[in-house]
Amino acid sequence: MIPTVVAAIVIGLLAIAVVLAVVRIVRGPTAGDTAVAGDLIFFAFIGIVAVFGLTFSIDAVIDIILIAAILGFLSILSLARLLQGGQR
Amino acid sequence: MTADLVVTISGSALLILGAFIIASAAIGLIKLPDLYTRTSAIGTAAGLGVALIIVGVVVLDFSPLNVVKGVIAIAAQLLTSSIGSFALARSGYLTGSRPVATTIPDELAASTASPRDRLIDDDESFGDDSATS
Repeated sequence: MIPTVVAAIVIGLLAIAVVLAVVRIVRGPTAGDTAVAGDLIFFAFIGIVAVFGLTFSIDAVIDIILIAAILGFLSILSLARLLQGGQR
Repeated sequence: MTADLVVTISGSALLILGAFIIASAAIGLIKLPDLYTRTSAIGTAAGLGVALIIVGVVVLDFSPLNVVKGVIAIAAQLLTSSIGSFALARSGYLTGSRPVATTIPDELAASTASPRDRLIDDDESFGDDSATS
């Protein structure tokens, strides 16, 4: 359990990060900028899931974070591959 | 009771610090001028921010099994966020994302067609086949 004000501060900061990343997705001149902003949204999503799991006392929160940290880089690698049209 | 208070305060401080680092990376995503500096900001700051959030979760929800899982998650996060940033910046370079003039170390320029050369002819389309080696 964490205090409610701490959860509000953390989720507020991460929501600001997601909004700024969405601004970069809308304005971004190349597809690479869009992919970088999507990567940041994924990291902020890990933090939001962690705070929700601590607030509602969900036991599986550390497992969710573990799997997201291990497998999360595959999304950005596949986006990087996609930018080049499947070539290396 | 006092030890409980110390655990709550230190874990909350770690969570807030991690979220602040991710938010500052997002501000860098808006303010920085080209793809390579943005990728640097996200890859370093988001890796550190997620690592601090994981430490905060382990402190607040403490058990020996959670410590093992947290150490594995932090190691995987620190190893793989740099790999993702590297691959994304490299593919952005190969598909012609233009750096600004102050992004100076350009070690891929010797082996491929540099996007810096395209500053001269502006009519080239994005993502054509001439840039891929």
